Amino acid sequence: MSLIDTSLKVLVVDDMSTMRRIVKNVLKQIGFSDMIEAENGQDGLNKLKAPDAGIGLVVSDWNMPVMQGIDFLRAVRADPDLKHLPFLMVTAEAQKENIIEAVQAGVSNYVVKPFTAEALQGKLEKIFANLKSAKA
Amino acid sequence: MLIDRDIDSDEIDTDEIDRPEEDHSINNELAELTKYVSMITSTVRDMESPVTTTSDQLPQATAHLNDLAKLTEEGTHRVLSLTEAIEINRGAMKTALEQLQQKVGSEHAEDVKSVIAMVEADESRLTDIHVALSFQDLVAQRVAKLVTILNEVQHKLLKLVVVFGIKNKNDGTAKQDDGRGSEMLRQLDASQTTALEQDLVDDILSEFGCS
Repeated sequence: MSLIDTSLKVLVVDDMSTMRRIVKNVLKQIGFSDMIEAENGQDGLNKLKAPDAGIGLVVSDWNMPVMQGIDFLRAVRADPDLKHLPFLMVTAEAQKENIIEAVQAGVSNYVVKPFTAEALQGKLEKIFANLKSAKA
Repeated sequence: MLIDRDIDSDEIDTDEIDRPEEDHSINNELAELTKYVSMITSTVRDMESPVTTTSDQLPQATAHLNDLAKLTEEGTHRVLSLTEAIEINRGAMKTALEQLQQKVGSEHAEDVKSVIAMVEADESRLTDIHVALSFQDLVAQRVAKLVTILNEVQHKLLKLVVVFGIKNKNDGTAKQDDGRGSEMLRQLDASQTTALEQDLVDDILSEFGCS
């Protein structure tokens, strides 16, 4: 029985249109149906702060123009209205220092590109399991 | 100069006795220095053509790299569109087969069930195709990094051009140093500017009776 809450609205943030489409397709296969896109951290932040945004999960790239994924994550965690949001980083940045930086900034989990659908689903399962145990 | 000076004193300055040798040494050093400066001047002159050619080629190479990223992006979107269409059909097929399974008698129910299993198996294969296409993002990121490096190299070459006073000749002499890189750039340019679409090629072929 999956712990992933597929009724949540997902924000997919990536500067590459192909990656946004790929991530959305995988999320759709997992069971998500309500998804919106943003092409950089600033765009993502604006969409999160929009009235009635109702976003429940963020899946973001790291390397993006205007606002990088790590700065986007910090901005989300610094906002009292958004800091609770599960935040999955999907990135090609796989250096140890990147992962440590993301963990220190409050990332919920981290997927390295190129990834598999199973890896993405596995990470989402872990995120929702942690949310459940935090609530209990 | 020491040798032009009159020595009208009885006292002999021992330091001055040593000076002709010093002069000889300085002259030697000056000669060496002149030789060295001449060599550097000649080297800078030799650098003129390759530096000018390279600084001309780099913006073109950078543009081609950016085009490469765009081409892979377009190709990936095309494949995604096709697989998404297949996925829609696959879903409709599965629903139709499930309805059929209820209608057919028990003798064909197992056959329909096995077809449903095959259709279901294709779902994960389609997802695997989608995910495999993420290579495009990695290609684009590496190309972007290469473009940054090339821009930096170009910037440094331009600094060299300014420091050594190498002028960018527009008379074609700078192109004399054309090597394999220039030829490849010409081919890349040609593929962009003169490459014909298949329809146009077919039109031309039919004009010559080769359709």
